[in-house]
Amino acid sequence: MNFQFLVETFFVALSGVPIALLVTIVAMLVALPLGFLLALTRVNKIPVIHHIAKIYVSFVRGTPIIIQIFIIYSSIPLLLKIIFEKYNIAYDIYKINPIWYAFIVFAFSTTAILIEVFRSALSTIDKGQLEAAQAVGLTTFQAYRRIIIPQALVVAMPNICTATVNLIKATSLGYAMSLPEITLKAKVAANVGYNYVEAYIDIFVVYLILCSTVEYIFKRYEKHLSKFKVAKA
Amino acid sequence: MLEIKNIHKSFGNNEILKGVDLAIDKGDVVVILGPSGSGKTTLLRCINFLENADQGHATFGDIQVDFQNVKKKDVHSIRQRVAFVFQNYNLFTNKTALENVTEGLIIGRKIPKVEAIEIGKKALDKVGLSEKYDAYPSQLSGGQQQRVGIARAVALNPDIILFDEPTSALDPELVGEVLQVMKNIAAEGTTMLVVTHEMGFAKDVANRVIFMDGGVVVEEGSPHDIFVNPKEERTKKFLKRVIPEDYNYYI
Amino acid sequence: MEKYFDASYIWNSIPVLLPFLKVTFLVAGSSIVLGTIFGLLLAAAKLSSIKLLRKLANLYTTIMRCTPSIVLLFLVYYGVPALAENFGINLHSIETAIFVVVTFTLQFAAIMSEVIRSAYLAIDKGQFEAAVSVGLTPFQAYRRIIFPQALVIALPNFGNGMIALLQEGALAYTIGLIDIVGKANLIIASNINAHALEIYIALAIVYWVLSIIIEKFFAMLEKFFGKGKKTLETT
Repeated sequence: MNFQFLVETFFVALSGVPIALLVTIVAMLVALPLGFLLALTRVNKIPVIHHIAKIYVSFVRGTPIIIQIFIIYSSIPLLLKIIFEKYNIAYDIYKINPIWYAFIVFAFSTTAILIEVFRSALSTIDKGQLEAAQAVGLTTFQAYRRIIIPQALVVAMPNICTATVNLIKATSLGYAMSLPEITLKAKVAANVGYNYVEAYIDIFVVYLILCSTVEYIFKRYEKHLSKFKVAKA
Repeated sequence: MLEIKNIHKSFGNNEILKGVDLAIDKGDVVVILGPSGSGKTTLLRCINFLENADQGHATFGDIQVDFQNVKKKDVHSIRQRVAFVFQNYNLFTNKTALENVTEGLIIGRKIPKVEAIEIGKKALDKVGLSEKYDAYPSQLSGGQQQRVGIARAVALNPDIILFDEPTSALDPELVGEVLQVMKNIAAEGTTMLVVTHEMGFAKDVANRVIFMDGGVVVEEGSPHDIFVNPKEERTKKFLKRVIPEDYNYYI
Repeated sequence: MEKYFDASYIWNSIPVLLPFLKVTFLVAGSSIVLGTIFGLLLAAAKLSSIKLLRKLANLYTTIMRCTPSIVLLFLVYYGVPALAENFGINLHSIETAIFVVVTFTLQFAAIMSEVIRSAYLAIDKGQFEAAVSVGLTPFQAYRRIIFPQALVIALPNFGNGMIALLQEGALAYTIGLIDIVGKANLIIASNINAHALEIYIALAIVYWVLSIIIEKFFAMLEKFFGKGKKTLETT
């Protein structure tokens, strides 16, 4: 066990954290509103869209994420190439920063997950809440913003936390897109001297710290949000 | 037949039972009254060891028990002789009415299945549910579920049946059918110890009434003694709150 | 360079890939069985009255929940033989599949321990009390009353866990397992990366169909075992 390597590589792995977090945050920023809107179409059974959403969710949940990554990473350059050639854009598709592919893949995947999360959270909210809000004169939009969404958010929080943690773990698959995140960076360092065990221990520790911190933050936020709930007598 | 001496039970820092004595003879129908928190339910649950009393002695027929040092074997034997009817019925949701009644017979007492089914059907007939042998609890009303609960207790042919507020969880219109069943089995000579708020039952069916408050027995006697001539202040206060002013409770 | 996308390649490659599902199933199946057993033990630990046992079981679950699958795969694949070396045991000729099964068993057990624990807690304490009141021993009460009810509650989550395990299992190719994904990558490599997209789409189709089959199967099981339960409306 090469302890010097162990310590050095820890910091190499740590240097991948910003990218992992960046991808997670961007994907979440896209997926949260989009997932919520599509969940609304599912709950309200808006024609055509809710069927598409159903198939979309089924696909994401039914296929391994690594395969989703392979497909998107293989097909988008193809599509872009066709578009660029059509409009004579002189941009080398191979120069595109892998992080953009990461944003697309993970936003695509996480949106589907969140559709399900929000759909089940919304179904726990009493229909009477919306009716009462409209009865006192709120528009539907206001009713959602001030009454429904806050309540749905509290119910959905634990699942959003799980989805975030899963997203961070999924970024470890970024190697397939040459994304310089935690796992890839440490692996590259390990390839030099074949110190795989040390590298993976470091990677493991970094993810452990990262995920526990995220879980802790979510738990604090959940507590803050549930203030309006009365404790059971 | 059943004698409890000096039973104590605390939950954390809260002492619920502060030294209660109780004696039940065969054929007695004893009703325990009292405000909430008086310890009546805890007393019942201690008797068949759903709670573990901290202190005290009990005699169940020929079995002697010291609550600080109870043997598993004794608990099991006592549970064979003492049946329990729960406030929330607690029917086995994954079994039919008949299966609920025969479960204790077949598995607990190792009675052959054919015989157990006979006994079970008779018990269900007794409580007026001959049509519902194969119904699941989710298909029955509250009153029906509680009657199955009573049939389940009766089928075990116990020495004594404990009733923990059997009608408190029922809609008002379903209370009557359950009380009627209880009246019938009392008339057959079953020994019963009942915690309830149903004063009518206490007056008409019980041969002894015990009033508990604050973890002790305040007063006990025949229904006439308690309802017409209560001696203790606390008893009088409780009865005033529970029985309307103008009600003629002269027996 | 004109990239030629051949849609027929998708359908043609499926028969070549399907035989390798055997490996996928064998590995997933073993992990599920072993993982459920281990998960049961963990759940018992989480519910026990011994504080140390509870803390250890919860710690295990947290660690598993925070570890990505490929990290766990590599840790087991490189770490266990390295550890064994210290004790003089040579594990270098062990089948890759064994390491894959160990990894996913560890992961599945963590998930199962939560599924079992919450199913158990969802059952009213009164069921157990009633069972012992009619004369059943505690063991009989668990076996005949509690367990059947817990099974029905756990079933949907078990199904989801199974589907999740199937998806995570696709990563086993990274340590060299030649299951359906491994075979697909071999084909792609032998074609010098041509038609990679078609093969990935074929893989996606196979997995998607499998997941739907598992979902439908569990829906059927829930109906069958849910005798005596009022069913909720589901969208």
